[in-house]
Amino acid sequence: MKRTGPVIFGFIVGMLMLIQHFTPQPWIADRYNNVLDWKQVVFGVTLILGVISLFFYHWKKVEQRQAGWPYSLLTLAGLVFMILVALIFTPERGPYPWMFDHVQAPMQATMFALLAFYVASASYRAFRARSFHAALLLIAGVLVMLGRVPIGELLGLHHLSSWILDYPNMAAKRGVMIGVGLGMTATAIKIILGIERTYLGKGA
Amino acid sequence: MAPDRETAARNAGRSRSARLAARLAHVDRRLIFVVVGLAVALPLIFPLNLPIQSSREARAYFDALEGLEAGDEIIFSFDYEPDTMAELDPMSMATLRHAFRRGIQVVALTNYAGGAGIAERVLSEVAAEYDRTYGVDYVFLGYNPDYSATMLRMGESIQRTFPTDHYRTPTDELPLLQEVDRYAEIELLVTVTASALAEYWIIWAGGKYGQRIIAGNTAIQAVLIYPYFQAGQLDGFLGGLKGAAEYERMIEVDGAGVRGMDAQSSAHVLIVLFILLGNIGYFLQRRAERAEGSQ
Repeated sequence: MKRTGPVIFGFIVGMLMLIQHFTPQPWIADRYNNVLDWKQVVFGVTLILGVISLFFYHWKKVEQRQAGWPYSLLTLAGLVFMILVALIFTPERGPYPWMFDHVQAPMQATMFALLAFYVASASYRAFRARSFHAALLLIAGVLVMLGRVPIGELLGLHHLSSWILDYPNMAAKRGVMIGVGLGMTATAIKIILGIERTYLGKGA
Repeated sequence: MAPDRETAARNAGRSRSARLAARLAHVDRRLIFVVVGLAVALPLIFPLNLPIQSSREARAYFDALEGLEAGDEIIFSFDYEPDTMAELDPMSMATLRHAFRRGIQVVALTNYAGGAGIAERVLSEVAAEYDRTYGVDYVFLGYNPDYSATMLRMGESIQRTFPTDHYRTPTDELPLLQEVDRYAEIELLVTVTASALAEYWIIWAGGKYGQRIIAGNTAIQAVLIYPYFQAGQLDGFLGGLKGAAEYERMIEVDGAGVRGMDAQSSAHVLIVLFILLGNIGYFLQRRAERAEGSQ
């Protein structure tokens, strides 16, 4: 029953979600909404579990003075502080929005802005025409990079850039999407029919 | 020239080219960082005002909003966090300016916890520019965990998906949400995103409920949604800061997108130059190694 129960439950819910797509029956639509309600509740609970797990992971590092423990302490301080100020002042007022605007936002934006420097350095070091395929990739990359900015448009490269994006890029992306779609369908059918049981854990 | 002197001269020439190759192939990364910093900063201080042409996808994005009438409603989803603010904020600002200017009402939300602060700032700033009233001209529903369930449930009932807005006001008390409650009553959905969320909106809101969608994407993400645009599942899209700049030019309100274009141009040219430099160094080095091997 430990294994059969979840498989039967998965079959019923899976079939319900499949059938609701093809019928306007109000009873089915209500059950569909129930499933979506549960899904959001489950997601909310996983967020709480994530926060608890993060807390204890870093707590252990601080307690045992493991390598990099001061960073863990900072993480814990930030976590506890943000939760407390949100509970005391609400997320719309007081220190919470201030911390978001003046600490989190600039820090995240800075991290992303550093990409420009690393992309320049990495492309200089790694983007080498070592083979025919690498050379093709390099030429396409350069054309798209230039064709997507005003200076490339002045040079007339935007037509080439658009062609690369519209044809070779799109063909590759479509192939990947069709493959992923077929794979997802196959996996979904296997889960509904109880053939794929890895989601039940080891030994299922 | 005597044979030994000839060989010595040839060897000296080879070692010179080997040194040059090594130098070209191994530029100090600190120098690269300084040059990139200058290439980005200088055009921001001294603009070149390079002309900006509009792409067909950006034109389609503009047309989708331009085709709406005053009093129509759109859903606007801030699907990004502060890391991509520099690239996506200009799109959000321009889209909301376009919408508010034309009297279009906006139902805003975010699928990222970090997007709430961005949405509040952008909405309040642009709404103040056009004197729009909260609750009547626009609402902000806030963040709901689990984007897939949110996207699907909004097709059934927005009020049920978001019982309260971001400020804890019951959504059934907001005048705007008394007029519209599901995709069928919304003319257009706009998502500005740095992730695959545009694809999920297309699949769940577009595929299941037939919602018309336009998307603003980071340049990296834009490459991935061309098939949806070509297939007509996406009415239009903006790609990266360039897309934002094109759109700003179309609505005739220059912003951070247009200002950033010169810097982006010079940075891209510089990266291409570095790639060329690295390859010249690589080939010279390979030739020098072959010459040494043949001796």
